[in-house]
Amino acid sequence: MSTLLDIQDLRLSFKGLRGITDVLHGISLSIAAGERVALVGESGSGKSVIARIVLGLLQETRSARVSGKVGFDGAEINTMRPRDRAKLRGTEMSMIFQDPTSSLNPTFTIGNQFAEVMRRRDPKLSRAACDARAIEMLTEVSIPNPDRILENYPFQLSGGMNQRVMIAMALVNHPKLLLADEPGTALDVSVQAQTLRLMHDLVEKHGTAVLFISHNLGVVREFADRVYVIYRGNIVEEGPTASVFHNPGHAYTRALMDAVPRITGAGLPEVPEVSDAFLAPMVRHDRGAA
Amino acid sequence: MSSVLRILLRRLGISVIVLIGVSMLIFAIARVIPGDPARIALGPNASAEQVANLRAEMHLDESIFAQYGYFVSDVLRGDLGQSLYTNRPVTTDIVQFLPATLELVIFAGILMVGLGLPLGILAARHRGRWPDHVIRVLTLLTVSAPSFVWAVILMLLFAFYLPLFPVAGRLGDSFDIATVTGFLTIDTLIAGNFSAFLDALSHLVLPSVALSLSGIGQAARLTRANMIETYDKPYIEMAQAFGFFPSRIAKRYAFKPSMIPSLTIIGLDFAAMLGNAFLVEAVFAWPGLSRYGVAVILRKDLNAIMGTVLIIALTFLVVNILVDLLIAFLNPRIRHSTRASS
Repeated sequence: MSTLLDIQDLRLSFKGLRGITDVLHGISLSIAAGERVALVGESGSGKSVIARIVLGLLQETRSARVSGKVGFDGAEINTMRPRDRAKLRGTEMSMIFQDPTSSLNPTFTIGNQFAEVMRRRDPKLSRAACDARAIEMLTEVSIPNPDRILENYPFQLSGGMNQRVMIAMALVNHPKLLLADEPGTALDVSVQAQTLRLMHDLVEKHGTAVLFISHNLGVVREFADRVYVIYRGNIVEEGPTASVFHNPGHAYTRALMDAVPRITGAGLPEVPEVSDAFLAPMVRHDRGAA
Repeated sequence: MSSVLRILLRRLGISVIVLIGVSMLIFAIARVIPGDPARIALGPNASAEQVANLRAEMHLDESIFAQYGYFVSDVLRGDLGQSLYTNRPVTTDIVQFLPATLELVIFAGILMVGLGLPLGILAARHRGRWPDHVIRVLTLLTVSAPSFVWAVILMLLFAFYLPLFPVAGRLGDSFDIATVTGFLTIDTLIAGNFSAFLDALSHLVLPSVALSLSGIGQAARLTRANMIETYDKPYIEMAQAFGFFPSRIAKRYAFKPSMIPSLTIIGLDFAAMLGNAFLVEAVFAWPGLSRYGVAVILRKDLNAIMGTVLIIALTFLVVNILVDLLIAFLNPRIRHSTRASS
């Protein structure tokens, strides 16, 4: 399989009032076409900023310093002109967000927003054609009465519905890469599970590669082919999902797994705030391997 | 669109209640002011018999409720009584003076929205950089001085030291334009007299700028603040993630939601210009309703005061209804909540 996303030695720092804060310390990560890859780590580990760098959004923030290579489909995102980066967004790559309801614009109908997204690919597309394609896509995410949903506003739909709408919207232009940043974390667990199942089937069907960003190991295990574990801006472990789960090599990965609450357990597990072992050299991270 | 109609009907219903309240207030104030209205109307030389006759004619001997009834039925028939100042029916005066004020206020309103909103958008889009700083300083300056101060400053600068615009009035003496709408910018065009149109326009510039400056500042600052708040919303990041260009995001994705909270205030500002026009009209000798209002207040001309207040209250209500409709148009949540609740 060919490599779709190839990140090499990615570094990110923010220039703030009190000097420079390093966020990423040389991340290397790759995704093959059609591959589902998860990036797991706790809040503040730097996982969400990676998605914003791949989209080229952080490069346009004045306080951010990005270095390293972000290869996408043969092009280099970091050195691209902002206009060219914007051309990739919404067409070749798209993103879904944590809270579906607040991520959709409250003042436009679903149909309107679908049309906007579709015209990123084909600006001359008629509204009727957009609607027809949107209905097709909404049917794929198992939304009943898709033609009626098009006339609705996001606030008239449930969170689960909006999540499906957002998945449909993100996939409608057949992107090569889908970035999912903690999708559905704002939803309740059962709805989240349903929609992730759906998303899994859809990306498999369309052959879309996914970078799935999450702190939830249970979800990752179901969804991803391969896992990267990120801690404090470093990749500490990487490997096929099954092997990482069966035989976690790094102390932080083990701590992360212990952190998953179990119904049969005795309350919340104890996880140390910081441990020297978490900061130990990256045991299995082979930098530069594509 | 039937939900918008429902909002309109509800607002109209509320407006009727407000108008009843206003009429009671005006009526009460008119009765509280010391002095016999009949005596004031006839002047100090009238005989006691004349005063008694007029009192009977004005129903002043009857109960206060009956008097209010007469007042309301007169108003409903469009009869606001006689003005002591001009010796004409108050309605005639209002018909003559209101268009000048409306023309001024509408022009100022156009300036407020036409300059204030783009400045606010510009500042929000360049937040923290020099256009933002310049706009913030300028708008703070315009907000912090009342309109009559601006009127005097502008008059000194651009009519006196640098005579670019006329000092006072609505139209040069050399023009004779037939009154059709009372709006001189429209009447001159109807008359086909283009140089008169330009003259009317140049008379409008200074008063309307003076009247609108603080409104422009307010609108710009409000738009900036609400735009910046909207820029932090997840749906803006989503729009960025879908690759829409920054100008499109500003226009379509950020501006519309951010206008919803701004509009209410801008509507109130617009209506408040009617009040500020009192002083601006006085400075520029603008022959409008506000200047008429000042003159009749100074003369304790009760009928004319009541008429003026009533008309201004009415204009206030109309502006508010328009703003509410505009908000309902922008905010689907309001449109659809009325449908659900009724």
